[in-house]
Amino acid sequence: MQCGYDKELLTRFLHGELSDEERASVEDHLSECAECRREWESYRHMWGVMDSMGVPEPAADTEMRFEAMLDSYKRSLGSSPSGNAGRWSGEQGVRGSGGWAGEHRGGVWARVLEIFRVHPGFAVGYSVLLVVAGLGFGYLLHRPGVQPGLDGNIDAAAGKKDLVELTRQIGEMREMMMKSLLQNPSASERMRGVSYTSEIHTVSKDVTDALLSTLNNDPNMNVRLMTLEALTHYANDPHVREGLVQSITEQASPLVQAALADVMLRLQEKRAIRPFKKLLQQKDLNGMVRTRIEETIFRLS
Amino acid sequence: MLKVRSGDLDKMGLLFQRHNRPLYGFLFHMTQQKEASEDMMQNVFYRMLRSRHTYTGEGEFRTWMYHLARNVLKDHWKQTRRRGTQQNITDYEERIPAGMAADEQIERKLEIKALERALESLSADSREVLVLSRFQEMKYAEIAEVLEISVGAVKVRVYRAMNELRSIYCQPETQNK
Repeated sequence: MQCGYDKELLTRFLHGELSDEERASVEDHLSECAECRREWESYRHMWGVMDSMGVPEPAADTEMRFEAMLDSYKRSLGSSPSGNAGRWSGEQGVRGSGGWAGEHRGGVWARVLEIFRVHPGFAVGYSVLLVVAGLGFGYLLHRPGVQPGLDGNIDAAAGKKDLVELTRQIGEMREMMMKSLLQNPSASERMRGVSYTSEIHTVSKDVTDALLSTLNNDPNMNVRLMTLEALTHYANDPHVREGLVQSITEQASPLVQAALADVMLRLQEKRAIRPFKKLLQQKDLNGMVRTRIEETIFRLS
Repeated sequence: MLKVRSGDLDKMGLLFQRHNRPLYGFLFHMTQQKEASEDMMQNVFYRMLRSRHTYTGEGEFRTWMYHLARNVLKDHWKQTRRRGTQQNITDYEERIPAGMAADEQIERKLEIKALERALESLSADSREVLVLSRFQEMKYAEIAEVLEISVGAVKVRVYRAMNELRSIYCQPETQNK
């Protein structure tokens, strides 16, 4: 048996999509037609079961993922040069003028949080500031040798003494390190040792001796050149000057010989003339070096 | 959304709060896959951001959102078809009224499972109108806008879907009896 009723009305009834009139007519029909009633009942049943169909909870990090996505998107806007910068500043202008005050009544704190959210750089800067402040505070609390309640002048004097002592110790350490580096088999390490001397303000005789010995004996030409350069800084020291003059006859490398000639000229060291003349007597002397030395001798005398 | 469109991206958080659950529900009912639905939901919100300039402000935001969601779903199905269907059966608590007796609860659970299977075996078009009307509680007019068809076509589609569902769902029961 087939009822010719428009069954589409039944589903619309279910969905609450009928007008009052239509609903009345459907109810009338249902009370008369068993076939349509059966169909209607099954729809209603399914409708009810659907109501019990749950949706699992989305994962707990859903919102975090969204925030992260939003942040990275904002950052990508900030870094892209395609005119987005203008939009940004425009938007901030709007915020400052009206929308902001209306919606962020949470006070200063909410505003600070908002700024941090928009500019992650501020948050980083703030963290760094906190760390620095913490370190400074810790230092103030546990300053070595400072007793609370002592007179400030004594504090200052003690601090100065400590500082001098500390500087001296650091200097000693540097010297030691330099000397040990000069003994290193690696040329680059020895060069590093030589470069340390530029950080030592007052050099001891030990240091200059070590450098002079390196200048005369180091197998690597580059190390010798660098040592020569370092030694010229201490050329006011007569001991160093003498060492440099003596070194002239010790050098076999043309580059170092030429460099020494330049240094002597710069220092106007007349004592260098004799060793240079001696050097000129060598038959296998490099042509370039020969002319350089001859020139040096001429200009010194 | 209009504020987001004009550049106030922080308003996006508000939209997320308001719409993430229903949207997730839609995607889940369409796929029955928990992880995939979560990923798709994030994807929909990302597309919202990216294509915020296409939102004209005419019509409901919700309609626009479901447009995007349907596109994401289409991409998802294209991908899974290429990779071969991957079914991950998700276990979750159905919303069974707490006052029910134990055997009634079990019966309800069986009914739910049966109807779920029936829904899954429907064509995507049929399932879609049912999900939108029943779970997303949309009126026919809104469904018509989302699907970009006439209200009359929605009526027909809903009826056909319900009828289809009934024939699948009620068949094993009548056989059992």
